[in-house]
Amino acid sequence: MNDIETFTAEVRAFLDANAQRFPGGEAHLAWGKGDDHTGYFSDDTAEVEAAKFAAARSWQRTRYEGGFGWITGPSSYGGRELSPVHDLVYDLLEAEYDVPDTGVISLIGLGMIGPTILAHGQQAIKDRYLPAMYRGDAIACQLFSEPAAGSDLAGVTTKAVQDGDVWRLTGQKVWTSVAHQAQLGMALCRTNPDVPKHKGITAFLVDLASPGVEIRPLRQMNGGAEFNEVFLTDVVVPDDHRLGEIDGGWRVALTTLMNERASVGGENEGALARVLSDGFLASLLHETGHGADPAARRRLAEITADLTAADYLNRQTVRRLVGGAEPGPEASVSKMMWAQNLTRVAHLAAELVGPRLTADTGAWGTYSWTELLLGSPAFRILGGTEEILKNILGERVLGLPKEPVAP
Amino acid sequence: MSELTTDADREDLRAGARAVLSAKATDEQNRTAIASEAGYDVALWAQLASELGLHSMVFPEEHGGSGFGFVELGVVLSEMGRALLPGPFFTSVVLAGSALVVSGDDEARASYLPGIADGSTVATLAVQEADGAWRHDGFDSEAVHEGGRWSLTGEKSLVPFGTVASLIVVAATTADGPSLFAVEAGAAGLTSEALTTLDITRPLARLRFSRTPAVLIGVTGQAPAILDAVLDRATAALAAEQVGAARACLEMAVAYAKDRSQFGRQIGSFQAIKHKCADMFARIQIAEAAAVEAARAVDGLEDAPPVGVAAAVAHSVCSEAFMFAAAENIQVHGGIGFTWEHPAHLYFRRAKASQLMFGGPGVYHERLLQRMGV
Repeated sequence: MNDIETFTAEVRAFLDANAQRFPGGEAHLAWGKGDDHTGYFSDDTAEVEAAKFAAARSWQRTRYEGGFGWITGPSSYGGRELSPVHDLVYDLLEAEYDVPDTGVISLIGLGMIGPTILAHGQQAIKDRYLPAMYRGDAIACQLFSEPAAGSDLAGVTTKAVQDGDVWRLTGQKVWTSVAHQAQLGMALCRTNPDVPKHKGITAFLVDLASPGVEIRPLRQMNGGAEFNEVFLTDVVVPDDHRLGEIDGGWRVALTTLMNERASVGGENEGALARVLSDGFLASLLHETGHGADPAARRRLAEITADLTAADYLNRQTVRRLVGGAEPGPEASVSKMMWAQNLTRVAHLAAELVGPRLTADTGAWGTYSWTELLLGSPAFRILGGTEEILKNILGERVLGLPKEPVAP
Repeated sequence: MSELTTDADREDLRAGARAVLSAKATDEQNRTAIASEAGYDVALWAQLASELGLHSMVFPEEHGGSGFGFVELGVVLSEMGRALLPGPFFTSVVLAGSALVVSGDDEARASYLPGIADGSTVATLAVQEADGAWRHDGFDSEAVHEGGRWSLTGEKSLVPFGTVASLIVVAATTADGPSLFAVEAGAAGLTSEALTTLDITRPLARLRFSRTPAVLIGVTGQAPAILDAVLDRATAALAAEQVGAARACLEMAVAYAKDRSQFGRQIGSFQAIKHKCADMFARIQIAEAAAVEAARAVDGLEDAPPVGVAAAVAHSVCSEAFMFAAAENIQVHGGIGFTWEHPAHLYFRRAKASQLMFGGPGVYHERLLQRMGV
């Protein structure tokens, strides 16, 4: 047995001991079975959301204790020091089991901020927070975007001023997913306004229980409230919570963002796994009485071809990574196509469902498509807007000249 | 099984093909070849067959082949697409060659494959008739068996390289169902007529058969099954060619966007142009993934998807990516891209002709759903 086979057997044993396996492949995802959801975002009530976070944290703790909490992480923090491929193998196997969706804590906190703390954090901070995060005790969020700094993230104006051994942070952050459930935030702050904008930013890890932190949920267009405004008023952050060098925060942010684009577009958890599972859209076609409608068949075929080809690209990326290759521009392409394809799926589903999309009649697989539809505008914004991704492809991959920038 | 070659092997193959084609299949050389009597560079054809051994790659070893797969053939076709090489390689090796390989008829394979493999035979496949539809049965052309010999009567249209092919594989109706036949150029009752074509790099002809002597390939009634398999191979191979050609369009557009200045800036610094190029790149990445997966499926690799699905996905995605790239390339160029002298229109022509070769978007989308059991 090679290394991957041994690992697979180990994961299988852990999952069998701790979770229930779904019977028969993707049968649990079939039309009419189980929860009638299609959305990427939730519109849960506060109680339901709290229960989901509790379940996610508890399952993360089980993983951590079983040795699968941080597969790519260092052993000193409970990690296994294995490759991203092992991580992927784990995810694929776990998808066969009925376990809580941990996306809310793993996507941003464990997938993006954990690796950033590991790469740029000071020793005491790593020792204190990394095991807590990967054990499911502490949830971390990004404090990146601001009302006036979105795509132009390097334009952040939240101020951090050094005051002896501490820093004092004042400003406003926005679009911060899961902040209302988080204990930690990674903040990008202006520490030097007199140098080019990329060179005057410093990154900090902020304890969200600190005085002066105020978190206000923002209600999204889909009705849910998973992201927030965060107001920082003279928030005291010890200097050992600084990530990277003073004024070196842009490099730190790039570590976080690179992990973001690699994670969005690669995997589909929760309700999206069902929407994109084999045959689900075909079931939608037939269940809505469009099985013999040539126009509907044509649209389904166009989307199916593109979804399948995107899946092939992801599979080939995995094979290349297994073979030891460096990640290429696939992540940006995958994220862009993921957003476009899911948007098309949402509108096709709406067309197939027809007027019953406009009111909840109780029929399975009809009104629930409003979840995907109302979440879809965000797909082309989150994780880098489509326009920014195209700039990256144009400039960094194709070598086209950069945009002129304001002096 | 896994791939017969490593990534490094395939890069060598790509570099070898590119070196020859960039020296001998430039835009100017291609135009000279198109205007020649054969419609392609006969000397280059012979060189690709004999020195590089490209024609024999996917044929069985007992019939003069070297036993490679479509994964390797795809590398070569992608380079041919990139250069927009005029010539019957796809027609002879992939279309007619696959029909012979798939037929399982050892006598026909032994008679014809070695000639196709060494380039001395140019073969073609005649399926379409007056309505232009790609079909696997219901042919108006008819073959009858009299006095121990087959003879064929009817009209075939849109036959690639139909006037220069020395061997024509013809689909026709018989009393025992649709069947394939081999007809040699110059056979009695065979006349051919070159058609004016959209894609000037790939000539098409109308062929008329009148009691023309023909040799049955395989057994009668087998044509639909053979053509099903040929279609998978042909669309997988065409996909590789389409990806290579689409990349050439992207490279042309990017080079021009860096070179051309307006308003005091390189036009590639404008998002309107940069994003067009990024869109082309993204769609080509997806298309290439589909083409590679289709080739892996034809080769029966262990982790490949079902060949019928993968080939249909690749045909759809690659046809559209190439058409998109060919059209957007002209937009990036502006007026200069609309001239006869610029190569952009040759790619545009090839893109649309390739997209319609096996029926076009309406047909290939429905085919995909059927392959997926929808």
